[in-house]
Amino acid sequence: MDFLSQFDARMFSLVAESTWQTVVMVFLSTIFSMILGLPIGVLLHVTSSEEQGGIIPHPVFYNVLSRIVNILRSFPFIILMIVLMPLSRLIIGTSIGTMATVIPLSIAAAPFVARIIESSLKEVDPGVVQAAKAMGSTNWQIILKVLIPEALPSLVSGVTLTIINLIGYSAMAGAIGGGGLGDLAIRYGYQRFSPAYMVSAVVVIIVMVELIQFIGDRISAHLISKR
Amino acid sequence: MEIRLRNLRRNYGSLHAVDDVSLDIPSNTVYGIIGKSGAGKSTLVRLVSMLEKPDNGEVYYDDKRVDNLSKKELIEERRHIGMIFQNFNLFSSRSAADNIAYPMEICHMDKDHIRKRTEELLSLVGLEGRGKAPISTLSGGQKQRVAIARALAINPSILFCDEATSALDPQTTRAILALIKEIQKKMNLTVVMITHQMEVVRDACDRVAVLDSGHIVEEGLVSDIFSSPKSDVTKDFLSSLTNVRESIVRWSRDGGHFTLRFRGSSTDEPIISTVSSETGAVFNIRAAGVQNVNGEEMGVMITDIGPDEETALKAAALLRKMGVVIEEEKKEAE
Repeated sequence: MDFLSQFDARMFSLVAESTWQTVVMVFLSTIFSMILGLPIGVLLHVTSSEEQGGIIPHPVFYNVLSRIVNILRSFPFIILMIVLMPLSRLIIGTSIGTMATVIPLSIAAAPFVARIIESSLKEVDPGVVQAAKAMGSTNWQIILKVLIPEALPSLVSGVTLTIINLIGYSAMAGAIGGGGLGDLAIRYGYQRFSPAYMVSAVVVIIVMVELIQFIGDRISAHLISKR
Repeated sequence: MEIRLRNLRRNYGSLHAVDDVSLDIPSNTVYGIIGKSGAGKSTLVRLVSMLEKPDNGEVYYDDKRVDNLSKKELIEERRHIGMIFQNFNLFSSRSAADNIAYPMEICHMDKDHIRKRTEELLSLVGLEGRGKAPISTLSGGQKQRVAIARALAINPSILFCDEATSALDPQTTRAILALIKEIQKKMNLTVVMITHQMEVVRDACDRVAVLDSGHIVEEGLVSDIFSSPKSDVTKDFLSSLTNVRESIVRWSRDGGHFTLRFRGSSTDEPIISTVSSETGAVFNIRAAGVQNVNGEEMGVMITDIGPDEETALKAAALLRKMGVVIEEEKKEAE
């Protein structure tokens, strides 16, 4: 079949459908990975040593949590997906399809989010935290009114990075029946030797990544410019 | 509020950062604590301001012991003190006004009250109308003014200044010190000023304690310390202020080597001429300077007194009688 003749209406509707699936997957897993990763990141930071900026240093707790996060991060994503299939089946009722992929995506990205949050919070000037403490702030007030607002531009960059990572992960999830652009590229582009599908999927993913990066940079720059 | 420290000790490993410090900081004064870097003054201020617990010893605010409070009491007690820092430590995520509002916010004060009080404080520190300004647009002096307003928001009875002027240029330093003094009088504050700059002590403090390797080596009224310093550390601080010091002096071989310190009215009299004509002593002045301490003039002079040892001692005795503080420098064996 001729390469150009593959660009037909059927292909466009398939690409559109897959793009939507990817958007849904990435959107939901970003939210869930933030919900999981944010508290872990905050916990990691506040329990780290005083020199690292921890406000409630707890070396044992920190080391255990840090180890768990590292173990989860070392799993190759494809293996983690397979390991987590039963969990998807338990929560969603199935282990294939877009919704079922959100679970392993979120869990795979959560430790990454936790580390990003931790390193963003670590950048907050320790003097500012000391001032907040000297004024009689509770630990919650320091976290919610000082650490997070002070680190916001950096946190936004972290979220941007997470979304872009998740786009990559979601494409990989296609390999085990997750749907989305990765799935399209593998099933049509690779297995059916239709390079047009492959090219379209890759182009759409590139556009998505560029767009997210652009928006993230703009928000972060805007936050910094107001300071 | 009066602050009393009793036998405070704080070690970091084998380092005795604060070693058996006892001090009475009277209420309603500006109290300086001066020391070189590494003398333990930062640790001391952290102990006194309840940011750190001592290994040993006690801290009292009036009659209340504050070094062994529970976490909850600690947070409550910290809400009655103000603190400013060398690097201002303002929240960059907040405007000037919102920085000032922070200590009131965390005490859950009424929003209208916060807004009114913030306006009041902005004008108190001379920043009317700058409330909306982002912190990064302010100069160093303005940042410290915002920090002062923030520290005063909750009507504290104590204000701790941790090297508050060290990052500022001389003019701004003077302006900030003047502001602190003015506020101290207005609000009857006890101000504790940690510094390594003797000019801060001279220009702002009523009393001073000199800290060296974790110990208090000298304590007293600023004018007394300036006119008759006892310890070498203090003398060193004073000489760096006037740039009158022995190390820059080339001594003659005859007679005695002396440092004379004049105070108040004795700076007005022709003391040297009088002593010279009465004893026949000859003065060879090597270095001299005068400065104003709390409205009183203080002079220092490094001089040879000759022509011989005997005359020099006679002259020194007469000078002492006239109220001049004299130290004789030991001649080094050549």
